[in-house]
Amino acid sequence: MILPKLDYKKAKSLEEAIEYFEKSNGEAAYFAGGTDLIPRIKLRLRTPSLVIDLKGIEEMVGIKKTDEMYVIGANTTIFELKNSEIIRENLPTLYEACAQTSCEVLQMRGTIGGNILQDTRCLFYNKSLTWRRAKGFCYKMGGNVCHATGGKNVCYANYSSDLATALLSLGSKLVIVGKDGQRKCDFEEILTGKPEKPFNLRQGEIVKEIIIPGGKRQGAFEKIRIRGSIDYPLINGAFTMDSKGGKLVVGAIGSKPCVYSVETIEEERVKILSETVFNDLKPVNNTVVSPVYRKKMGKVIAIKLIEKTKKGA
Amino acid sequence: MRNRKISFTVNNEKVTLHVRPYETLLETLRERLLLTGAKEACGLGSCGACTVIVNRKPVRSCLILTLEVEDAIIETIEGLKKNGNLHPLQKAFMEKGAVQCGFCTPGMIMTAKSLLDRNSRPNRSEIIEAISSNLCRCTGYKKIIEAVEDVCSKE
Repeated sequence: MILPKLDYKKAKSLEEAIEYFEKSNGEAAYFAGGTDLIPRIKLRLRTPSLVIDLKGIEEMVGIKKTDEMYVIGANTTIFELKNSEIIRENLPTLYEACAQTSCEVLQMRGTIGGNILQDTRCLFYNKSLTWRRAKGFCYKMGGNVCHATGGKNVCYANYSSDLATALLSLGSKLVIVGKDGQRKCDFEEILTGKPEKPFNLRQGEIVKEIIIPGGKRQGAFEKIRIRGSIDYPLINGAFTMDSKGGKLVVGAIGSKPCVYSVETIEEERVKILSETVFNDLKPVNNTVVSPVYRKKMGKVIAIKLIEKTKKGA
Repeated sequence: MRNRKISFTVNNEKVTLHVRPYETLLETLRERLLLTGAKEACGLGSCGACTVIVNRKPVRSCLILTLEVEDAIIETIEGLKKNGNLHPLQKAFMEKGAVQCGFCTPGMIMTAKSLLDRNSRPNRSEIIEAISSNLCRCTGYKKIIEAVEDVCSKE
């Protein structure tokens, strides 16, 4: 599969990357690991005229720990995170999510920033241009109907980031840099809930780092996928707990994970919570397993995560 | 779009080429340098048949632009043979029958080599974890794992 014509530029600083983007008239794409972007370009799902390589920006790499927070550079690879003592010792939710993301070789290339900013996926969207032309373009491609639901004019593509589910349960914030300067916001704020445009980022903005509140946490991550060795999630979930309470997140169904505050983990309350999760999830037939199965697994994952965290605590 | 000049080292040999900005490392290796060991199968990073080692890390060469590897040190399956002797992994794959159709073999061996480069005595689960990055459609995984284990036991 060959790439369409595009230019390549390597940025040495955030300013340089933003300058390249500005000059491209919005036709450029930022490029870190490329494990999500390059396949999309090959499938002609994205058609940038320029890719701007961010790997040369040193300030975007690394994991720092202070008493108040953990700061993770957006270009830190998933493999580096997985093998970091800081992450393994203090943030089991994130560690488990890293270990279950893709396979080891792609973990060495894929970055945390790229992972959380991956576009939504659908069985009827992530296909070659020939396949999509033959079928007719779906709603996300600019057509009028959603093929997964048999004709509705709404998109149901799934946001398949495992790290995002874990980071949401950890109450993460993002530091975003653009031509107008730097801003900091809750991760949840940039998720629009619209599968056709999943992120509320201004044109040309770059996620520079991810900030996780400090302290040691208890938690767990669960993921269901067809092949254990490498696959996108059919559904995933994360639970993180500290002295003040917990946060349960169930993702990979629809374009925005469901987030629940958990005050107590008594058996009766967990049962009610799992029923709420079951009722909230609205999967459609856009993966390789039935939506009913994914919905039921939401309930199972919620209970399993809290049980696992209780045992680890 | 004009070709751009790039230099890197492949199997201990320095090369300087003019490549298209949208050319993948796999295309450069196979079509310009005629190193056809790395294979293209899925072309999307899922199968691992195109795995080569860049700066001691295994990578999917179908997902990398050649312009990214300026000054890098690249190892491919063709560079494993030293002074006429096959690499222990290549020997073990032959002896243990870890090759069926052979299409995944270069990628499998390069992934295994990168594992042994960073951990000379991996246990079985570490071998499986590393090898699971690559697909073998003949489903010959058991023999492949045995071959890697064989090399570890001899080292």
